[in-house]
Amino acid sequence: MGEIVFHQVEKSFGSNKVIENLDLTIRDGTFTVLVGASGCGKTTLLRMIAGIGPATSGQVLMDGKDITDLEPGKRDVAMVFQNYAIYPTMTVRENIEFGLKNKHIPKEVRDKRIQEVCASVGLTEYLDRKPNTLSGGQRQRIALARAMVKEPKVFLMDEPLSNLDAKLRVQMRVELIHLHKQLKTTFVYVTHDQVEAMSMADDIVIMDKGKILQQGTPEQIYHDPNNTYIAQFIGSPAMNVLPLDAENRFGFRPEAVQLTREKVDGARYCRKGVIQVREMLGSETLYQVAFADGQTVSVKMLNDQYRSGDHVVLNVGDNQLYFFDRDGQRIRRAAVGDAQYAALLQTAGGMSDV
Amino acid sequence: MNTYSDQLASKEELRRISRARRRAQFMRRLPGDIVKLAIVILFVFPFYWMISTAFKSYIESIQTPPTLWPHTFTLENFSAIGEMNIDLPMYFKNSVIITATTIVLQLLIMIPAAYAFAKRDFPFKGVLFGVVLLAFMIPGQLTYISIYLMMAKAKLLQTLWPQILPFGANAFGIFMLRQSFKQIPEEILESARLDSASEFQIIMRIMLPMSKSAMITIAMFSFISIWNNYFWPLVMTTNEAVRPLTMAIQKLRDSGDNAIRWNVLMAGNVILVAPVLVIYMFASKKILKAFAYNGLK
Ligand SMILES: Nc1ncnc2c1ncn2[C@@H]1O[C@H](COP(=O)(O)OP(=O)(O)O)[C@@H](O)[C@H]1O
Ligand SMILES: [Mg+2]
Repeated sequence: MGEIVFHQVEKSFGSNKVIENLDLTIRDGTFTVLVGASGCGKTTLLRMIAGIGPATSGQVLMDGKDITDLEPGKRDVAMVFQNYAIYPTMTVRENIEFGLKNKHIPKEVRDKRIQEVCASVGLTEYLDRKPNTLSGGQRQRIALARAMVKEPKVFLMDEPLSNLDAKLRVQMRVELIHLHKQLKTTFVYVTHDQVEAMSMADDIVIMDKGKILQQGTPEQIYHDPNNTYIAQFIGSPAMNVLPLDAENRFGFRPEAVQLTREKVDGARYCRKGVIQVREMLGSETLYQVAFADGQTVSVKMLNDQYRSGDHVVLNVGDNQLYFFDRDGQRIRRAAVGDAQYAALLQTAGGMSDV
Repeated sequence: MNTYSDQLASKEELRRISRARRRAQFMRRLPGDIVKLAIVILFVFPFYWMISTAFKSYIESIQTPPTLWPHTFTLENFSAIGEMNIDLPMYFKNSVIITATTIVLQLLIMIPAAYAFAKRDFPFKGVLFGVVLLAFMIPGQLTYISIYLMMAKAKLLQTLWPQILPFGANAFGIFMLRQSFKQIPEEILESARLDSASEFQIIMRIMLPMSKSAMITIAMFSFISIWNNYFWPLVMTTNEAVRPLTMAIQKLRDSGDNAIRWNVLMAGNVILVAPVLVIYMFASKKILKAFAYNGLK
């Protein structure tokens, strides 16, 4: 078991209130990713679970037990720090063994666990080396092994891949997903990278300025965002958001557009445009399309059909359109009713110029 | 094909160019090397002078112009010390006890103090650290009278304690070690706490090993200054039985005729600094390694 519950949690540094009235449940056994811009309070939340930066007020529960002020060493958690926090004067083995020794785990058990874990992360041949003789990727594995060997209920990871090069990052991403499948324990993973969040998470928690904006599966977050911030944070390039009328705005994803020479039948929002910029990325091509009124939007296509200066028609269907109110909050069909939603679609359609 | 092929030098020319480059580099470095050499001579010469004088005869040691090395190499200065009826082993034992006890005491006080100043918050931390720095700057010459009176009141004057207790708090050591502790990233300590380590274990297993170079520096300075201390035992002791080796060496100078026998005195000094040199020789590899060590950033 490893369920974490935050109840009315608040955190201040001096007079600076970083987190306010936060409620959050991290379900047992999920790979939960906390994602948000730098400085939004992700690390602060993680440190509360670890017990190394306790909440100012409110409660943190683990499996129903209040752990708000429990010592870090007495919680069943392990943490991988952003800069790994490896003990530089200890060998790889000593690094991994330190936590077990402090918990007085017998030598045979320690040796067996270390052997298993190091085999699974590929450190076996480096056990007697000092960390400063190893590469960044290998140090990252030490940090991981050190967490795994403790067999905790909850794994905490604070941007563990951000110091690795792009290729290794993608590889480690897959390994972490695999690790979670094997261990089936709770992972709480912090990142500012929406791609990491989307690719790894069972459950995404999107934060901004110490508040939780939305919690859901990657599919929910992508297809049904709560507001413009999330809509534009998840997905790359970001969702196009344009003014609809005096009050509201509407949006559509760059990859949800049909770019054609002629208007497509049945499309709601159809605009004439000119290709301004083309970025050919291999499997896909990004376009900046400018409308006659000067607005530009991003478009992502799988085929590489157009060149800069080409005249095109941009088509978006009913199901690809999102509506937001003046505060950026999503206007959902279920909330406003069919009639009002139809009116919004009508307004968007009315802006077509083909 | 290269468009600039007429610009490319032949093998012969390339060799000549690299020779010229090496020469230019040598000339550029020369002034700096000369300065370094001068500094080395400045530091090493007094030492060399002590050693060479220790092996000269009395006549040669006062000769003008002085000889750079002993023309007649002699060990008689050392045998002269042996014959002088000075109980060197006793003085040596006192020096060892004073130095070792002081250093142990310093470690016991310095490590927790540095830890508290570097990694803990408590009321009046800034003021208290200021007091430590102040202690670091006040010379012994200002405090010895009141300390002497204190020791007299405590009836400790006939013991070694007056030479140990006043040096128990090593302000320089606290300062250095605190700096070194401060450099240790908080995450490493937090990680250790998550690994169920106690604060004592964190200090012993993580912070001290990471501060090895500071520790060695502090211990070396401490050792040299206590071992070579002359002023303090001079003003604190009246009884030969509690005096250290430095005081014995002083006697070598006094017990000649009217003239100071520099050659014997220098032989005594060689005996005095020999332990320092021996320790340095055995530890020098470790010391250099400790300084070359740099942790993971
Ligand atoms: N030790 C601290 N002292 C003061 N302010 C802090 C401290 N740690 C974090 N903060 C502040 O709290 C906010 C959230 O920080 P953090 O949780 O580290 O953000 P994130 O991990 O999402 O980038 C930031 O505004 C940061 O400046
Ligand atoms: Mg952070």
